Amino acid sequence: MRIIDLALKDLSQIFRDKRSLLFLVAMPIIFTLFMGFAYKGGGDDAISDNRIPLGWVNNDPDGLLSGQLFEMLSNSDSIRIVELTSGAMEAAVRKGEVAGALIVPVGYSEQVSAGRAADAQLTLVADLNSAQGQSLFQSLRTPVTQLMSSMEIARLSAETVGKPNDASELNETFASASQAWTEADSASLIKVEMAVAEDEGQWYGDNPYNQASPGILVQFAIFGLVTSGQILVQERKTRTLQRMMSTSMRAWEIVAGHILAMFVVVFMQEALLVIFGQFVLGVNYAREPLGTLFISIALGLWIASMGLLIGVLVKEDSQVILFALMAMFLFSAMGGTWFPLEATGGAFAAIGKMMPSAWAMSGYQNILIRGLGLESAWMPALVLLAYALGFFALAVWRFRKMAV
Amino acid sequence: MKIIDIAFKDLTRSTRNMFLIGMTLAAPLLITGLMYFAFGSMTSGDVSMTAIKVGVVNADVMPADSPLEVPLGGNIRSMFFDDSVKSWITANDYADEAAVRAAVDAQEIGVAVIIPKTFTEEYLAGKMDTAITILQDPTLTIGPTVVRDMVTSLLDGVAGSGITYKIVNERMEANGQALGPTGISVLFERYSKWYTDFQRAMFHTPEKAALVVTSPAAGGESSDSTQNMMGLVMVGQLIFFSFFTGAYAMMSILEESEEGTLARMFTTPTNRTTILAGKFLAVFLTVILQGVVLMIAGRFIFNINWGEPDSVALGLFGQMFAAVGLGVLLVSFIKTSKQAGPVFGGGLTMLGMISGLFTTNIQLPDAFNAMGNFTPQGWVLKAWRLSLAGQPAIEMLVPFIVLVVMGIVMFAFGAMMFRKRFA
Repeated sequence: MRIIDLALKDLSQIFRDKRSLLFLVAMPIIFTLFMGFAYKGGGDDAISDNRIPLGWVNNDPDGLLSGQLFEMLSNSDSIRIVELTSGAMEAAVRKGEVAGALIVPVGYSEQVSAGRAADAQLTLVADLNSAQGQSLFQSLRTPVTQLMSSMEIARLSAETVGKPNDASELNETFASASQAWTEADSASLIKVEMAVAEDEGQWYGDNPYNQASPGILVQFAIFGLVTSGQILVQERKTRTLQRMMSTSMRAWEIVAGHILAMFVVVFMQEALLVIFGQFVLGVNYAREPLGTLFISIALGLWIASMGLLIGVLVKEDSQVILFALMAMFLFSAMGGTWFPLEATGGAFAAIGKMMPSAWAMSGYQNILIRGLGLESAWMPALVLLAYALGFFALAVWRFRKMAV
Repeated sequence: MKIIDIAFKDLTRSTRNMFLIGMTLAAPLLITGLMYFAFGSMTSGDVSMTAIKVGVVNADVMPADSPLEVPLGGNIRSMFFDDSVKSWITANDYADEAAVRAAVDAQEIGVAVIIPKTFTEEYLAGKMDTAITILQDPTLTIGPTVVRDMVTSLLDGVAGSGITYKIVNERMEANGQALGPTGISVLFERYSKWYTDFQRAMFHTPEKAALVVTSPAAGGESSDSTQNMMGLVMVGQLIFFSFFTGAYAMMSILEESEEGTLARMFTTPTNRTTILAGKFLAVFLTVILQGVVLMIAGRFIFNINWGEPDSVALGLFGQMFAAVGLGVLLVSFIKTSKQAGPVFGGGLTMLGMISGLFTTNIQLPDAFNAMGNFTPQGWVLKAWRLSLAGQPAIEMLVPFIVLVVMGIVMFAFGAMMFRKRFA
């Protein structure tokens, strides 16, 4: 009973402070919307042209190949051509007016037609590390391959028919090969299928908020420790804790009371964000409610244990913010809440996958994206509970040392 | 002189404050370092990216009287077991579709390539309705895309051979000639060799490929994509934490007010304007110091080229004006130091978010980018983007002037509030 009283006291302190709501509710909701918006990239705007702008610098204006390439790119679904001069290209790329620029060198068509392709390379000026730069490169590979293939076929054909130096034969065959490429459709020979454990019609795994919603939930649950962690610090600073220790209340009861309050706060925040995700963002947490519940409870226990540890480690209010921020950045970035770990380097991903935040993400994604059932929640929940136990043991050990 | 004494005292106090050191220097470097650790090695050409785990079910069999030496499925399978891809693809054979599906479900592999029994036969017969299935873990995007590109590339090679045969045959007929079996074989061989060399150049020797990629130069010297990415990540952190520093450093007024030292200072002959000016000077110096230290660290740790010296100076001073102005304004609304955490944490994070400080490497819709025009952080980001892109100082004048004006307005308003409070 005394544990509950202590927890209620902490909760009343937390909820009396209206600013807590900023951290616990408003900010995570706004961040979720923001991140979902960022992942979606405004792609549902049917009016706007979402093709990637590519600067086109043609130093081979009358060339056969450059003309064909221009036509292919003009018909692209992913690239929007912006014609530029050499002088304006650099500034346009730097200012971000185009995602990159394709430079066709002088005499390009003549060199390639003569079999000297090595002397006439197309140059893409783009930052391959940016999503748009990478997309540009990928989008250009197929048309460039088909262009070069058409010319190679034309040259092979002209040689085979005994007219290797006949320009009209070469041009005619090049046109035929280019046309044949437009009719060939290798992509239709590949069927991509998602490994989901439910009917495709029921699957909501392509919702961009499936990454943003649980990601922000985990991130802000950690950051929300600022409010509860500060209570412990205040108790120590005002000597309330020392006075409590002099009562008949045992040390473990004090720890349990505080951790219970922290758990309730984290769990309530999680519940709010799950409800918001479910009803506003269409993130289908409810397709496996028990699984969602188990993961949320285990996550709440781990974060509450970490909050307790922070509360007993720090001495000042400001340090709580620093520790909570550091924990948030570390566990969020490394646990794949900001970006999928698949996109990171090998060592980073290997370490990241061990983080409790990564297990929480995996648990939610099993339900939301993979469409798996309750059984998929057990392992992530158990690992989170093990982490919770570890952090709790550390906090209690530190608390006892402090009490002595 | 008194102004400098007060500023020096505040600066000393700041350097002793581990929290401030943590927030001003450690946190931005830690986050940038995390990003570097996560993405840096991949983009610098070191293929230490997460290995793509691929499962292959090749049921394809060679049809009777096929002109091919190996069924297409065999070529596709070999591609994933080739020595050249072993550093980034881990491939395993699976007996049948059920086994490979189970492996994807159990997350043992990320992508499965299932080649049906009659694929080569149907393909050679011109039937396009027998497809290769690429089954993917739905949480993955990069691995499956790479696998799909590889299969498409191989099929393009095969399609190219088909087009070669068709076109040459047509041209031979048009010229009254006929293509014999030896001619067909030579033709396929030559085209295949060309295509293999072409693809090899594209993937393994990009400097010799038909399409070469160069990064936009920055600051007059060439840069690579890692530097560009790290520059933008670090700029986001630099701006976010400099505004935090501007606000937190101003907190010394509140702390001194709560501790009673400010009231005692007001009883001395030093006038209030001098005291406040000294405190403001300390904040200016702290923000500048933080910016300089972080930029030097960014240069040496992450090899970031910040741009032309005069552009960098404009960026740094513009950032200082805006950060201090906003800091003074925010603190002027706060009554106790306890309120600072939520106000700074919440307010500055929100402003940072809508200014795009956390998404510097993500292309956002124009409507979202426009929101940055209404925040000081958004204008600082504009200025730094120009500087990082190697733009001369003249190009930065507009954002710099906007920042100075914003800074002065916020500072004046905040200072007025302080004068009222401590009048």
